[in-house]
Amino acid sequence: MAKTYDYLFKLLLIGDSGVGKTSILFRFSEDAFNISFISTIGIDFKIRTIDLDGKKVKLQIWDTAGQERFRTITTAYYRGSMGIMLVYDVTNEKSFENIKNWIRNIEENASADVEKMILGNKCDLEAKRQVSKERGEQLAVEYQIKFIETSAKDSLNVESAFYTLARDIKAKMEKKQEASNPAGARSGAHQIRANEQQRKPTSWLSRCSLL
Amino acid sequence: MSEVENKVVPVESEEKDYVEDGKNKLIVKCKFCGSKILDKKSAKYITLEKELPLMQQDNNRKEGEIQNESVNEFYHVENMYTFENIGFTHTVANCKYLSCADCDAGPVGYYDMETKHSYVAISRIVHA
Repeated sequence: MAKTYDYLFKLLLIGDSGVGKTSILFRFSEDAFNISFISTIGIDFKIRTIDLDGKKVKLQIWDTAGQERFRTITTAYYRGSMGIMLVYDVTNEKSFENIKNWIRNIEENASADVEKMILGNKCDLEAKRQVSKERGEQLAVEYQIKFIETSAKDSLNVESAFYTLARDIKAKMEKKQEASNPAGARSGAHQIRANEQQRKPTSWLSRCSLL
Repeated sequence: MSEVENKVVPVESEEKDYVEDGKNKLIVKCKFCGSKILDKKSAKYITLEKELPLMQQDNNRKEGEIQNESVNEFYHVENMYTFENIGFTHTVANCKYLSCADCDAGPVGYYDMETKHSYVAISRIVHA
């Protein structure tokens, strides 16, 4: 059967236990389904289809919850992954400090050119905050990784974070394609970039603010 | 869970108004939140008998008990990337259950680990 999409990106959620990785993937809303059958088994991964500048992009997003107690994610999980969300909890200092360890783990196990992004989750819990936004930003600058604070509970910035990561992967791929085939790739790629910024989010992104 | 166990029920698929050329004529959406699960004409209509856990389990049921019902109309999806938006649960007895990617309602179907094919229960979705 013909391929019905332009890109397929495998993404991972990584970080200490309890930072909210599962909530980012699994929408814990107040409705009745969460006490139902699905929540007792848990979600392994989700497939999301997004529109990125006119291209149909499939995201396969994996939760690594349950693996992290080994303080490392096995190579098998990293295999083929093109983007990694590094998640810490702004109310948990230790989870923030461990981001550096996770980055080291990624460097040792994942593909060298994997795109990364840091998420400071639970930013709705202002009273319990232990890690300031500035420290998050500083860490991101240090590693030259994009950073955003999120609240999975309030669906704040979660979807836009995935769009940002996906867009960065796509840009990297197009750059590679262009480098290997300068003449052929030119026509489409430049046009795409021109309207990248003002692109309005659709579907699941519509619930949250832009970066 | 394997396909061998699934009894094929002979039903004339041509009679269904949501089936065209053996495929889903319309977009498949979540019954509860409207999240798009499948694009139109992306999955094959099939009939087979399969026990699926109820989407809403009775809170007063015995501990550990799972309430099932028999479902016999499905959309057959050979490649998981055909899905627009879908969740896959952790594996239970060689199968993963499918859930809505937006509201987590489910199971809306199942994924067979052996064949790597997915089956969306038509009684648990809406067409649009």
